[in-house]
Amino acid sequence: MVRMFILWCAILLSLNATDAYDKNCVKCHASLPISLEKIFMQYLAAYGGKNNVKVGLDHYFRYPAKDISVMPSEFLNKYGVYYHYKNNDNELKKAIDIYWEKYKVIGRLK
Amino acid sequence: MQALKSKATNSLLASEKKSLFRFLTLYILMMMSIIVLISLFYYQNQEKTMFLSKRDMLSDYAYEQIKKLKILHDSFPAHNIYPRDPRFKSAIYDLEYVKIFSLIDSNDIDFNKDMYITDDNKIHFIKTLYEYYLGAKYLILEIPDDGQWKDEAWQNIFIFGGIAIILFTIIGFYIANLFLDPMRSSILLLDRFIKDTTHELNTPLSAILANIEMIDMTSITNDNKKKINRINIAAKTVSQLYQDLTYLTLEHDIHKNDENVENKSLIESRVECFDILAKSKDITFILDLEESYIYINRRKWTRVIDNLLSNAIKYNTRKGTIYITLEQNMLIVSDTGIGIETTKIPFVFDRYARFNNSEGGFGIGLSIVKKIIEEYNMQIEIKSRPKYGTIVSIKW
Ligand code: HEC
Repeated sequence: MVRMFILWCAILLSLNATDAYDKNCVKCHASLPISLEKIFMQYLAAYGGKNNVKVGLDHYFRYPAKDISVMPSEFLNKYGVYYHYKNNDNELKKAIDIYWEKYKVIGRLK
Repeated sequence: MQALKSKATNSLLASEKKSLFRFLTLYILMMMSIIVLISLFYYQNQEKTMFLSKRDMLSDYAYEQIKKLKILHDSFPAHNIYPRDPRFKSAIYDLEYVKIFSLIDSNDIDFNKDMYITDDNKIHFIKTLYEYYLGAKYLILEIPDDGQWKDEAWQNIFIFGGIAIILFTIIGFYIANLFLDPMRSSILLLDRFIKDTTHELNTPLSAILANIEMIDMTSITNDNKKKINRINIAAKTVSQLYQDLTYLTLEHDIHKNDENVENKSLIESRVECFDILAKSKDITFILDLEESYIYINRRKWTRVIDNLLSNAIKYNTRKGTIYITLEQNMLIVSDTGIGIETTKIPFVFDRYARFNNSEGGFGIGLSIVKKIIEEYNMQIEIKSRPKYGTIVSIKW
């Protein structure tokens, strides 16, 4: 019984976790010409390590601006800067964490 | 004179030895630290030169590798094979020093330097990226260090270090000699003076002694007898000194005229000879003599005994006692005199050493004793306690 409960909790949690990214980001970005994966690689090239990238993303989502964006200027001209922060710190943090885990390079080179 | 000089230079005094030893330790310590310092400097310089010769090559490698990383970055994750190169091994680390990917053997990376040698003899070259392809800030290249420069450096250190040591040693000896020269020349001067004086003493002294012998004791008054006795004592003291001085300054052949000397009667006769001197200070002799022989030059052995006896009298207190014990292979002379401090004992054998200003003398007696003792491979030991007395024992 207890085991069932734990399993159920875990499933719920993981669903919830994937949600934070899938729910919030993927759909809208799918309509954009540059993939989230490519954007991630841009961030990685600009910010380097794990914490730096996460802080960089967080900062951009809260205070988006043309001159700190990694996107090409034609892109920004067409779509404008997008204000990602939706007054939900927890959700944003989760989304960023998942974003990092999904595309990080560490451990995936051969 | 030449013989005298070589004699003086051959036997360093204990005090001379001590100062020479101090100087040499200081000198050697300084010399060693200088050589070590120079070697260290040289070694580091060689390392730098080696780095310089490899730096250009490694910079080129790094440049190529970064280009490959950029290509991989753009096609990741469709392609995820890290670019390899047979000429070197490499690794990438992010700006938080987290390993992204590594092919290198040595994992103790020092991010503070851009080039160094690891403990397992690999050369590491670290290149910083300005755009973090694949998240990498640091690219580390690793090539093996053939160690040739090291062997060469060590070889040079040994060769030149060795030459330096030899050179420094020669200089050291030269300086040490310069140090000792003034000491020696003053001793030589004293020696020469004493030798000259001794010659002059000979004739008057024999005249005095001979004439005292010739005085007819029966025909003079008691009062005069006492006076003559005092003259006799004084003359004998001078004679002792004269004997020592001639021994010291005239040539004496080693082991010449050695014979089997009967100790008991010799000592008895020497004690008798010193009796008048001892009586003048109210000193009593207590003898405990066994039958004993020694193979030695009689004149030299007499010098040894005389000097021990005269010291025992000279440094004794009034109404003191002198014990003489003779065993099969040992002679012990002990007195109840003023004694000497333990720290000064090693220096009592030095020529011209004197520890008591109230008693006259040149301080040559014990240096003669030591010379003879050494010549015959005997052992001498001095034990003393200030105000209680001194025990001198000789073993053969
Ligand atoms: C409603 C649409 C929409 C949603 C939802 C959305 N984005 Fe964006 N995102 C954009 C647009 C438009 C841009 C380009 C404009 C810009 O960069 O500000 C952008 C840009 C970005 C960038 C590039 C930022 C930069 O430096 O320019 C990142 C990274 C990013 N999004 C990640 C995310 C993540 C992660 C989520 C989910 C939490 C998310 N986006 C949700 C529309 C969206």
